[in-house]
Amino acid sequence: MNDHKILVANRGEIAMRIMRACHKLGVPFTAVHTAEDAASGHVLLASREGGEKSLFRVSSYHDANELMSVADEAGCTAVHPGYGFFAEDFRFARRVAKRDRTMIFIGPSWKIIRELGDKINTKRLARSLNVPTVPGSDRPIYDEMEAERIAKTIFEFQEQQGLKRPLVLVKASAGGGGMGIEEVYDPDLFRSVYRRIRNYALRQFKDEGVLIEQRVTDFNHLEVQIVSDRTGQNPVHFGTRNCSIQSSGLQKRIEVAPGFASETLEYTFNAKKLLTDIVDYSLAMARKVGYDNVGTWEWIVTRKGEPFLMEVNTRIQVENGVSARIARIKGNDGVDLIAEQIRLGLGQPLGYSQNDIGFEGVCIEYRLIAEDPDNNFTPWVGRIEHFHWEDAPWLTMLTHVSNTKPYEIPIEFDPNLALAIVWGKDISEAKTRGTAFLDSLRLTGRNSAGESLKSNAAFLKANTERILHF
Amino acid sequence: MFDISKLLDAIKASPYREIVIAAPHTGRITFADIKQGDVVLGRQGQWKEKPGVLLATLEREHNPKPVRAPEKGEISLVHKNLEGQYVEAGTPLVVLRHMLTRDEVQRIILQKALYLFRAPERAKYYLTPEADKKIRAADTHSVTVRDGMELFIMSRMKREAPLNYAGPDGVIYEVYFKYNENMDVGSPLIGVCPKDHLQLVQEMIMRVQTEWTEPS
Repeated sequence: MNDHKILVANRGEIAMRIMRACHKLGVPFTAVHTAEDAASGHVLLASREGGEKSLFRVSSYHDANELMSVADEAGCTAVHPGYGFFAEDFRFARRVAKRDRTMIFIGPSWKIIRELGDKINTKRLARSLNVPTVPGSDRPIYDEMEAERIAKTIFEFQEQQGLKRPLVLVKASAGGGGMGIEEVYDPDLFRSVYRRIRNYALRQFKDEGVLIEQRVTDFNHLEVQIVSDRTGQNPVHFGTRNCSIQSSGLQKRIEVAPGFASETLEYTFNAKKLLTDIVDYSLAMARKVGYDNVGTWEWIVTRKGEPFLMEVNTRIQVENGVSARIARIKGNDGVDLIAEQIRLGLGQPLGYSQNDIGFEGVCIEYRLIAEDPDNNFTPWVGRIEHFHWEDAPWLTMLTHVSNTKPYEIPIEFDPNLALAIVWGKDISEAKTRGTAFLDSLRLTGRNSAGESLKSNAAFLKANTERILHF
Repeated sequence: MFDISKLLDAIKASPYREIVIAAPHTGRITFADIKQGDVVLGRQGQWKEKPGVLLATLEREHNPKPVRAPEKGEISLVHKNLEGQYVEAGTPLVVLRHMLTRDEVQRIILQKALYLFRAPERAKYYLTPEADKKIRAADTHSVTVRDGMELFIMSRMKREAPLNYAGPDGVIYEVYFKYNENMDVGSPLIGVCPKDHLQLVQEMIMRVQTEWTEPS
């Protein structure tokens, strides 16, 4: 492990978490930043705690040449992509592994990213193992006539099912994180929405592929955290998460582990069995492909308690912290899934089995974001003047925003300010603590027009009551 | 209306602009045979098809990238101490003292004469597909704008919002933003010439064309 050096190919809070995990493992690292991000916490952390050649200014986080060149200059032996950017780009992972000076891609091997990144392939694999999947289009559509044909069949299907208000989801195929998605209720409006999304996708992602999907309404969004070493032989799970509280643009705002509180809350279906089922399905698929790092299987659960596989995310996710917080390995807490990802990525064996993993309590993650929930969650851009909260032993605050001096939110990236991870021994204690944290929060700022900062803190508080109810 | 002669005189008194040429990305730098005081040429030719003088080469991932003079000018500083070193993106390499060309003077003066619609926020801006199509097919003068008309798409953090033009009716004379470029709050997006000003603006251009002599 000590012979390695890791390039942290990301920014913001995830870059900070990766650097801290490296520190914990005793592995040196190199961070990168763009000119706009000079005041970001990850830059300060890298300059404070990194050693020689540990921080470089690059032209873009999206430029693979830039990352490879910095890795060579700094003598890195592995690349951690974080989430977003190159995290699920199999071409990038392949390049890292196959170039003249090879390095380790800290994530699943490129063939697995390619296999599970392709949505048709994932569905085919799932069906071969009798795993239920979400109905709808499963490849990007580039042709307007074809798009209309698919939309028409989805509308007709829903009408046959007796749905009062059938609707079709139009998504930018290259998009993600809930951006570039619109709902269409009126078949006559489909064409204009399709064109708008296609133009948007072309501008923002340079790919005009559009997905046409059936929208399952009234569902819960669950996830299964899978962890495996490079042998790909013995994947384990770190439990389930519930990510159903989302913005109107379908972006996650509150994540909770475990997926349902089957012991304390009432459900219309057998929640305990459902959680076991999705874990078993996910592990079966992971074994089948020889999954060899951390990954998340995403599920839609209907009110009847039926699960459908949505997709597999072949990367570490933002919300991995809630699973880590409730997990115990051989009875010990302080689990760090990012450190595990690095350790396993660098080739160490897992060292424990499913029987060694236990869970304790309930954990809530709040995504604190500068945005206006009353106005379609529009991002707020400006200067943060005060950012303060009360520390507590049950609270982990992950942020790249300074709480001692003002911070200008760069417009190039999402206005995420912090992740607050709150633990409680059960759901009611976790909610009480979550509310106490949100009440203690002081967050003020102004934009260039002199308007005061808008954040989603009130939205998070209002939705705390709903957590894990379905 | 402002006094064009006064403005021209002011520009003539100090007809220079400093251009800092920075490393576009990381890489190892090798300077070309240049020194302080050299006069270098920018892109030349009717369609700017001839590249500018080579100032340095930046090598990254076995790809040498030429760094060339963007404009004609006199080299006022070369950071020779960086020779052979690995530089970060944005590191200043060369400083040029550039004498304003006729087109640049014309743009400066036009900015005074046109109505400038400015960026309300720091963001990326795009013209609506209809306006964009017209401009591509003909030129900017082909687009007539009215107060309150939806003309732009403002994009921040990949979220887009429509933006309406506010100002006098007229034709778009200049577009000041590039595709996918971040514009600061208050920077001009378009210059609009009200129809009744068209003749005046054209007279101004004539004056610059006749009175401004390009440095040889």
